Amino acid sequence: MRDESYTGPILEIENLSISFFTRLREIPAVMDFSCTVQPGEAMGLVGESGCGKSTVALGVMQDLGVNGRIVGGSIRFKGRDLNSMSAAELRDIRGSEIAMIYQEPMASLNPAMRIGKQLMEVPMIHEGVSEKEAYARALEVVTDVRLPDPERMLNSFPHQLSGGQQQRIVIAMALMSKPSLLILDEPTTALDVTVEAAVVQLVKDLGEKYGTSMLFISHNLGLVLETCDRICVMYSGEAVETGSIEDVFDRMRHPYTQALFRSIPLPGADKNARPLVAIPGNFPLPHERPPGCNFGPRCDYFEAERCDAGDILMAPVSGDDRHGTRCLKFDEIDWDAPIAASIATEKTEPGQVVLKTEKLKKYYEVAASALFGGGAHKVVKANETLSFEARESETLAIVGESGCGKSTFAKVLMGLETATSGRILLDNKEIQDTPIEERDTKTVSNIQMVFQNPFDTLNPSMTVGRQIMRALEIFGVGRTEDARREHMLELLDLVKLPREFATRMPRQLSGGQKQRVGIARAFAGGARIVIADEPVSALDVSVQAAVTDLLMEIQRNEKTTLLFISHDLSIVRYLADRVMVMYLGHVVEIGTTDQVFAPPYHPYTEALLSAVPIADTKVKKKHVVLEGDIPSAMNPPPGCPFQTRCNWKSKVPGNRCETEVPKMVTTAEGHQIKCHLSREELDSMEPVIQIAAE
Amino acid sequence: MENLTWTGSLGPLLNPLFLLAWAAFAVAVLAQILLSFVSGNPQMQGNALAMRKSPADWAGLAARAMFGLIVLVTLGYLVGGLLLPGPEAKGIIGTISTRLLPVWISLAVLFALSITFKRRLGLYGKLFDSTIGMVGFGIVMFWVFTAFYADMIATHDPLTQLSGMKNKVPGTAISGADDGVFGYYLLGGDNLARDVFSRMILGAWEVIKIAPFATVFAFMVGITLGVPAGYYAGTLDTILSFLANLILAFPVILLFYLLVTPEIVDTGLPTYMAMVLFIFPLIFGTVLLNSRYHTQPKFRNGIVAAFLAVGGLLYLSLISSNDPNAMIRILPGWLDLFDVPGNILVVFVSVVFVNSPTVFRIVRGIVLDIRTRDYVAAAQTRGEGAWYVMLWEILPNARGPLIVDFCLRIGYTTILLGTLGFFGLGLSPESPDWGTTINDGRRLLSIYPHPALAPALSLMSLVLGLNLLADGLREESLRD
Repeated sequence: MRDESYTGPILEIENLSISFFTRLREIPAVMDFSCTVQPGEAMGLVGESGCGKSTVALGVMQDLGVNGRIVGGSIRFKGRDLNSMSAAELRDIRGSEIAMIYQEPMASLNPAMRIGKQLMEVPMIHEGVSEKEAYARALEVVTDVRLPDPERMLNSFPHQLSGGQQQRIVIAMALMSKPSLLILDEPTTALDVTVEAAVVQLVKDLGEKYGTSMLFISHNLGLVLETCDRICVMYSGEAVETGSIEDVFDRMRHPYTQALFRSIPLPGADKNARPLVAIPGNFPLPHERPPGCNFGPRCDYFEAERCDAGDILMAPVSGDDRHGTRCLKFDEIDWDAPIAASIATEKTEPGQVVLKTEKLKKYYEVAASALFGGGAHKVVKANETLSFEARESETLAIVGESGCGKSTFAKVLMGLETATSGRILLDNKEIQDTPIEERDTKTVSNIQMVFQNPFDTLNPSMTVGRQIMRALEIFGVGRTEDARREHMLELLDLVKLPREFATRMPRQLSGGQKQRVGIARAFAGGARIVIADEPVSALDVSVQAAVTDLLMEIQRNEKTTLLFISHDLSIVRYLADRVMVMYLGHVVEIGTTDQVFAPPYHPYTEALLSAVPIADTKVKKKHVVLEGDIPSAMNPPPGCPFQTRCNWKSKVPGNRCETEVPKMVTTAEGHQIKCHLSREELDSMEPVIQIAAE
Repeated sequence: MENLTWTGSLGPLLNPLFLLAWAAFAVAVLAQILLSFVSGNPQMQGNALAMRKSPADWAGLAARAMFGLIVLVTLGYLVGGLLLPGPEAKGIIGTISTRLLPVWISLAVLFALSITFKRRLGLYGKLFDSTIGMVGFGIVMFWVFTAFYADMIATHDPLTQLSGMKNKVPGTAISGADDGVFGYYLLGGDNLARDVFSRMILGAWEVIKIAPFATVFAFMVGITLGVPAGYYAGTLDTILSFLANLILAFPVILLFYLLVTPEIVDTGLPTYMAMVLFIFPLIFGTVLLNSRYHTQPKFRNGIVAAFLAVGGLLYLSLISSNDPNAMIRILPGWLDLFDVPGNILVVFVSVVFVNSPTVFRIVRGIVLDIRTRDYVAAAQTRGEGAWYVMLWEILPNARGPLIVDFCLRIGYTTILLGTLGFFGLGLSPESPDWGTTINDGRRLLSIYPHPALAPALSLMSLVLGLNLLADGLREESLRD
């Protein structure tokens, strides 16, 4: 079947259009999409959710479901038209010549089958090799994806592996038959940052080793920069700009690409001096696209009668290698003009201490035998000796990956759990032992929370207005129903939502709008401390900036203390005044933003900084890749919590790392690091992120 | 007067067509199955216009056309029966169709209105996008309207026996009928010479009156216990789940027999069980209102008091009885709004008792899932009470699966009522309800099948309708 002599492009998509048919109407998902992937090339497909990037991938796989149909154009794989292939021919190609890796690793593996069997199936079905040979191949590939103890891996079930290991197995499965084209659909979105960095590195290395072409789908520009050779930016079903990474990142020729880069926090952005520029307006719904340029209504360079006159075609940008843009005015726009719209604001000075924790500990006891409650109890140390203070109108970022104890801390602070020991002082009043039912209304309304998942934060069967009014009722704001309604409308004004939204149901709102309602609800009782648990991580890039700015603006006006929980260091650097890095329940580093982002680092901070992809070609990063996964909090390593993954462990004499929990070392005023490394070693660290001189 | 034929004067015209359509339909379906083995896979890729029809496709098309013809002819019987004058010309089907005229009109109005405004009616409106859902809803509403207009539709009193009509076949004319008495037994007579058609129609009323109410009570009990079990989990959940399992494990039929045994009834056990089971809606409503309005004490006091006054009166009317021998006589006679006959109370109790554990388990499962959502956490972090979170944040979002299960469960309850009637339990032996009637007709089934067949088909069609409705609702609630 396999044609080894083929030398042309691996994948050629020409003027592809895909539509989904619902009972009401035809919904065009992809329109006039063209791209070419050469052998060994990695193509990045970038765009916000709903822009059609995954639909392109499914179109290539010819797996559009019952509603979807290719309505125009052609997809050629190694010169053969996929559109006209029979089901049998497609089956032959899928999984052997084109392999796909999906976002959720657990959903791509069969939970009832051993890993080895699933891997061996691939060559046995496609090439009819013997079981023995297939096993040998599986062993080889599992070794290639750098999994420890490959034989044990092959013999285990998917649920016995961690998320990162599962995704490596999925990658291994895709590589089993040495495909010519690998489609990766947001392969690392479900993983933690440090694990993501390792998987991305792996994909890159394997691509080079096997010479596989890749179609890499992501919403993260930084990731695409690190993995791909070429990029294609999509907006609302159309490719708006395509070209090599350098061309698109440094000499973008489409207003959407430019707006996208201005709305993400790159090094150098600052919440006061150089705030982000959010893209105005909302992503158009597929059946409500404007005539002419889809980006027109949100574009700064929009020209009526011209941009909305008719269909716009891809135009080549002269001088660059295969660089095209779908903009009529790209020759007229001054692309190097400085950002005009940004308004610098005064930096607010933090006030007095509002919140103070002292040696806060939260342990959970887990019975070993759930049935009778007898036997040994295991202790999960979710928070270990947390000490810090937060001031009025200050932003304290809490950074860490899943399982680091940041959510537990939020629960204790909110009163959903009580502390095991230590103290939490709110205005010098101890609250650590008062569960929420016993707190007075004022304490409860003083500490509020903004949740992570916008699709989960609002009750789907209550109108937006009702939900905010319920918060007002509970906090005892307003004496009559009318007064509360008036206040609710003012809150909608505060978060810049139209007042009509009061009567809408949450499902009629977009993710960013829901998150705004969540913010309005949190501020209903005049909250003084707001815990924002990754408030923007689930939102699209262009919406993130707007929501972040909103939070900052309210904070400035209300003098709120913001505890910003996040794993995204780019946004933390942009908006935090101080940063606290957590790992397995321990605070490993705390300091002002500048101190944490510059050496000396805690080794974990260093790895975290290196792991976060930055969408800037001028940034040079030191590569620090952590091996292994985050240990379980049920069974933490002895001594320093980070010792199992630490790259600096060899620099500490003796086995202190394995036996002794390090003390907090103060390196500078307000900057503390929990590490055994000597002062000299810490001072010798090099900065992870360096911006190349222009 | 002559006996009626099934199809009257339409027969000679439509009957051959009807038979022919059925025969052709059977052949076409068979051909489609056979041909699909022979012909290869049709090419579905690329342009839809290029699709070639294989012989199997043609056979499928023919089958569909024949099915359409069958439906059309059936409609012809019904509409023709409406239009033709006189029972002889109408035939049995035509006459029944004429008797059911109020039902047809109501159905037409309901469907016309619903389809016109379906985009504004939420989930109910979406039901009209699914054929299965519409068919199910049509069948269910047919029986609901039939029950509602039962007195208008029925031709005779369900208990009157007319001499000479014992076990007569459908369409038999009543010899020497008085003026003002309908002259035919449309679906024949049973072994006590009563009219099968009228008993079937009035039986619908018996079923429709009990099944949904019994199901509502079962849901009330299941929800009131299931939501806290799922929300708190832990010990409460373990105890309640164990009890639910215990009831589920107990043989249902034995339980029914026990409940209706006179000795047990004399001890007052069913009445006391009714007292306990029927108080759940009252508790549920009070907690619901209190948790919502406790921030405004004045308003809360008013609304909860009003609810308790109305609900309490209904509750007391339900359990207390004017019968001097009754166990519970709390209300004075002038305040007692209605009396529920003891045997119906027993039916209610047994239906609620066996259905609520299943509802409990469903509710508990959904709540276990929903309580991990962020909006539940948001409610907790603003200091809401547990019952508010359970009843206002969690329960409304569990409604989808519950509505579907409610429809299915009415179906089970209907069958359960039939079963109870069949065993002679619960309802009185003369009651025209379908279960009892099937049991009556069973004895002479091999000689005279029609007295048992009519209620059996009715029961089947109602339960089928409910199941189709549930399917349609499930399908539509998943779509957006």
